[in-house]
Amino acid sequence: MKIQRKKNIKQKRSKKPLKREKSNNGGSFRLEKLVADLGKTGKDLREKIQQQAVQLRNINLQLKDGADKQLKSDEKIHKQNGELKNGADKQLKSNERIQKQNGELKNGVDKQLRSDEHIQRQNGELKNGADKQLKSNEQIRKQAAELKNKKGQLKNEVSKQLKAEEQIHIRTKAMEATVDGIFIIDAQEPDFPVIYVNQAFQKMTGYSKTEIVGKNYFSFYGDASDQRVISEIKNNLLQDKVFHGEMLSFQKNGKKCLILLRIAPVHGTHGIVTHYVGLQTDVTLMREKEREIEDQREELLHVTRVGKLAEFVSSLAHEISQPLTAILSYAQAAKRMLGSKDPEISRILSYIVSDDQRAADVIHRMRSLLKKNRPEMKPLNINNLINDTIVLITTDANVRRTILKLELEKDLPLVCGDRIQLQQVFLNLISNSFDAMERNVEPREILISTAHKETGMIIVSVKDSGSGIASQNIPKIFTHFFTNKPDGLGMGLSISRSIIESHGGQLNAKNNPDRGATFYFTIPVEPKTS
Amino acid sequence: MRNHKPVIYVVDDEASICRAVALLLKSHGYKVEIFSSAESFLAFKHLKLPSCVVLDIRLTNMSGLALQDAMAVRKLDIPIIFITGHGDIPMSVKAMKAGAIDFLPKPFTAKKLLNAITFALTKNVIQIKELAEISKINRLIKTLTPRELEVFRFVARGLMNKEIAQKRGTSLQTIKVHRGRVMRKMQAKTVTELILLAKKADINPSKN
Repeated sequence: MKIQRKKNIKQKRSKKPLKREKSNNGGSFRLEKLVADLGKTGKDLREKIQQQAVQLRNINLQLKDGADKQLKSDEKIHKQNGELKNGADKQLKSNERIQKQNGELKNGVDKQLRSDEHIQRQNGELKNGADKQLKSNEQIRKQAAELKNKKGQLKNEVSKQLKAEEQIHIRTKAMEATVDGIFIIDAQEPDFPVIYVNQAFQKMTGYSKTEIVGKNYFSFYGDASDQRVISEIKNNLLQDKVFHGEMLSFQKNGKKCLILLRIAPVHGTHGIVTHYVGLQTDVTLMREKEREIEDQREELLHVTRVGKLAEFVSSLAHEISQPLTAILSYAQAAKRMLGSKDPEISRILSYIVSDDQRAADVIHRMRSLLKKNRPEMKPLNINNLINDTIVLITTDANVRRTILKLELEKDLPLVCGDRIQLQQVFLNLISNSFDAMERNVEPREILISTAHKETGMIIVSVKDSGSGIASQNIPKIFTHFFTNKPDGLGMGLSISRSIIESHGGQLNAKNNPDRGATFYFTIPVEPKTS
Repeated sequence: MRNHKPVIYVVDDEASICRAVALLLKSHGYKVEIFSSAESFLAFKHLKLPSCVVLDIRLTNMSGLALQDAMAVRKLDIPIIFITGHGDIPMSVKAMKAGAIDFLPKPFTAKKLLNAITFALTKNVIQIKELAEISKINRLIKTLTPRELEVFRFVARGLMNKEIAQKRGTSLQTIKVHRGRVMRKMQAKTVTELILLAKKADINPSKN
């Protein structure tokens, strides 16, 4: 390339003088100019050549450099070729080895193929066996499920059975523990044989279970028991009816025992009476207590009735004695004034006097006939008296749904009084409170309190939440025949007041600030004898 | 006192009783005042005459027994005859204990009432006489000097002159002079008489 370019530059140098010769036809001037131009161009050419030479040198240098590099690379390639040849030798050797190995592999593969066939055969056999196995597994599963189901059912039944047994156990225990006597009679046998009795029944009759079971139930009432009641019970049972009643029975040792008896028929699955079940309660003590209370109540009622009648007669006597007194005084005054003037009239006046006295005598007799029993004044504890009286009216209070509250001061000194009379007062006050709260919605409450006053008096008050007392009636309530009750006599409070007064106390009443009234009485503390 | 007609007070809330008893008593020559309540009786200006009260035990407001108490408090010393329509024993006991003359159940005869009244009036006359005497003694006591009154009290207690002198810290002679003056002023002739006067006038001898 560099060589070519040198040639080109030589050609250009030769052409240019030719052209100048042609233009030299115009004069010397032109020639001079041409020479100058030529000089100039020569100069330029030299410069350019010099430049190109430098360039060429540079290129040469570069080429030399490139050739060196080429030489070095050739060496490298040569070396690499040697290495490659080496590698190829190795490759050949390894190829041989591989070929050998391939032969061995082929051998092995053949063996493998043979064994595969064998395996395939075996697999077929196995597959066959597995299918069979699967089928049998399914069957087993089915059987297991069935078994599980059956087991569940069994478990259920067992737990049901257990529960039932537990319940039976509890019921039996409960029956044994019941304080009422329980018995079961076989209804299909003729003689009412007992098939079961609990502990309480044995205790109540005094006979043991072995003595009772199998025997006629009615024989355990004792020979002295009322045969009419027994036949009534039997009749009831035979008519499939419940019996409920009380009867006097006798224990094994002959002791009397009042029992409350309830017997009911038990129906079997076909509606036939199979058994009779009975419950009996020993009510001996209860009835005794009730009778005691009843007796006390009766006595008190009697005393109250007599007291009322006495008070009635007494007030009647009072009312009649007033005009009788006046008549007597008038007649006697007239007789005195008349003197001996008119014996006839004087005699008439004497008749009036004597008949007046006869009337007075009648009243006297009546009064002494109904004279209250002389009060039995004894030292007594007013709190005990109140507690005893409360017992008599608890039932009444419950029926009237009235709450009785007590606020009794402790250690009260004794008072001297007639127990029955004071009870009468107390009952009268409570009964008035009951009536006063009759129309109350709730609460019906009576507060009974006692307190010891410094004045040597005990104050007893009965406070209710009733309708209270109309203020205009307060002065009148203690007078005879004053009453607010449609069926009242108007005696209770006047009797109560005279009883309290005869004990040296006072009975008063006031309305409560909120509602209801309070009746309170005082009674002097008994002077200490010691 | 004979020249004064005794007066009988009748207290009963029953008008016909008042009227009838008043008529009866008037016919026997008594002066009668009637009252329908205890309160009106207490309000009355009582005459200084022999008198007694015929009192019903049950009255509308203040009872006969309460009136008896009220009279005692006011020192109204008039004997009381209770009358009652009730044969109230406890009440009668109480009334009698408080100094009532009698307790007559209604109806009572004129005789019974008149007997009770005669008794009551006799008692009242004595009461009046005693009252007059007491007021006279009290009048005389008022004339004593404080020192003389002191000696009077000692004498009333039964002390001898010597003892009084010792207590007072003065001479026997001085005491004798004081006592002589007391006897003269009190119009007592003997020491016994003086002591009796002290008793009647209810001079508490133990009082200093």
